[in-house]
Amino acid sequence: MKHLNDQELMSIVQAGDFAPASELYDRYSSRIYNFAYRFLRNSEAAEDATQEVFVKMLKHANQFHGGAKLSTWLFSITANHCRDYLRKSENKSKEGEDVLATLPASAELSPERHMERREDEKLIQKALGLLSHDQREAIVLSRYQGLSYAEIAQIAGCSEGAVKTRVFRAMEVLRKALTGDSRGGDRCLTAMP
Amino acid sequence: MFDCDAMRENMPLLLTESLDPVQREQTHQHIETCPICVAEWSAYKETWLILDKLPEVAVPPRVKQRFLAEISPAMAQAMAQTNVVPFRRGRTMRWLAQAAAVVIVGSSAFYAGHRIAPRTQLIPTQAQVTAIQPATPYYSIAESRVLPAASISPQIEGRPDIQNVQFSDASPLNQQIGVSFDITSHVTVTGRPTDKSMVRLLRYVLENEDRESPSRSRAIDWVRATYANVGNPDPEITEALANVLRNDQHQGVRIKAADTLQSMQSAMTDGTRDALVEALKNDPNPAVRLKAVEALAKLARSGVALDPDMVDTLRRKASQNDENVYVRVKAAEALSSIQPR
Repeated sequence: MKHLNDQELMSIVQAGDFAPASELYDRYSSRIYNFAYRFLRNSEAAEDATQEVFVKMLKHANQFHGGAKLSTWLFSITANHCRDYLRKSENKSKEGEDVLATLPASAELSPERHMERREDEKLIQKALGLLSHDQREAIVLSRYQGLSYAEIAQIAGCSEGAVKTRVFRAMEVLRKALTGDSRGGDRCLTAMP
Repeated sequence: MFDCDAMRENMPLLLTESLDPVQREQTHQHIETCPICVAEWSAYKETWLILDKLPEVAVPPRVKQRFLAEISPAMAQAMAQTNVVPFRRGRTMRWLAQAAAVVIVGSSAFYAGHRIAPRTQLIPTQAQVTAIQPATPYYSIAESRVLPAASISPQIEGRPDIQNVQFSDASPLNQQIGVSFDITSHVTVTGRPTDKSMVRLLRYVLENEDRESPSRSRAIDWVRATYANVGNPDPEITEALANVLRNDQHQGVRIKAADTLQSMQSAMTDGTRDALVEALKNDPNPAVRLKAVEALAKLARSGVALDPDMVDTLRRKASQNDENVYVRVKAAEALSSIQPR
């Protein structure tokens, strides 16, 4: 299966054979899980989301068309699932406690450096928690998944301009939270040639 | 004239290098000439770098297990109700394939029976062929067998290439655990955790499975959970874990092996204790050394007399200035608990 590309694997699934399921999972589960984990900030919910996304991938395989990248389609399913989850549960997350509970101990760092890193992670998770769902989705897909604004727009079901604004607003909030820099909003009107 | 707000909106795009060349040039020129935007740009870059400190998280192996378990005939049924037309083998082809599988399995058993010693022979009459049935028409792998552990020899000859290893926990009805894997057909061996054949099989799985860290790590997790409730685990299990601790190239796996050994004190052998001492002495990773010294400290606390080499290693670690502080503390703790031999 490893030598087949995504489209070929999906064609097999579309023909009713789930044999490529494991290979597809291996290719994309890490990206899907990490996206869901950062979006939802809850490891259990991210696990459920990952499982659900791959089940939906098989169940609705006929809705996947070769024109789009499989990763974009899977991120769309994940984003929909996460938005539903957040809407339903109004998930008042535990502000990073979950992160501490689930991140594996690093094997290479000294205990002090390890604690430092945990603190950094906690701080970033807290900062991500300050964002609106739309902003968090956009910044996570942009910063951590490296997607273009066009791809994010497709996943989020909005315009590229809206994505640009969401990422910008998210960066404003994160900058204040992470660097303590609360300037922003100052104006200058420097003339450009 | 460019508004700073418009320039700032472009900053995240600059960070991802997604701006078109003209806008990129304009934004950079603006930043260079606007003292406020210079500071803004610097703060954006800093924020972007800080965000990088959030590491990738590994997907827990149980997610894949749950996902694969859900791909069942019921799932296929649901799919069949959609507009997708599933690929199904024709009846004739299916029976031909099944007949061929039976011939292959039969021939292999015959061949194996004549090739290796009688004690390794599978007893075909006790094998339950459970999945060669028309009831599961959507499975890609049509041939599966379930073998009781008693029907296989505890001696595993050669190095069969086993793949796709799955575990099933003890059934509340009969306390049977299961290990499934593919060789030429999918085989599930069931038995009690204490059955010698099952122990041998698990040892083989631990030492050989896939040689990939995620699956070995999964095997260790499962062994640990399974044998947590077994009073006296077979020492072969701890010896297998000791071999993993000695040889696995992935530090995460070695950490797990040492940690699991710590939870199986009653089954420790001289070999497993030596593996822990070797890890404490030589493992390049401090977290592995820490787990090893914790296991030895627990051993010392339990009243087991440690041999001179272990005591010497603990003493050197406790006073080694460039050793990790936690390792040193644990080594000292172990020394203070040692019973004289």
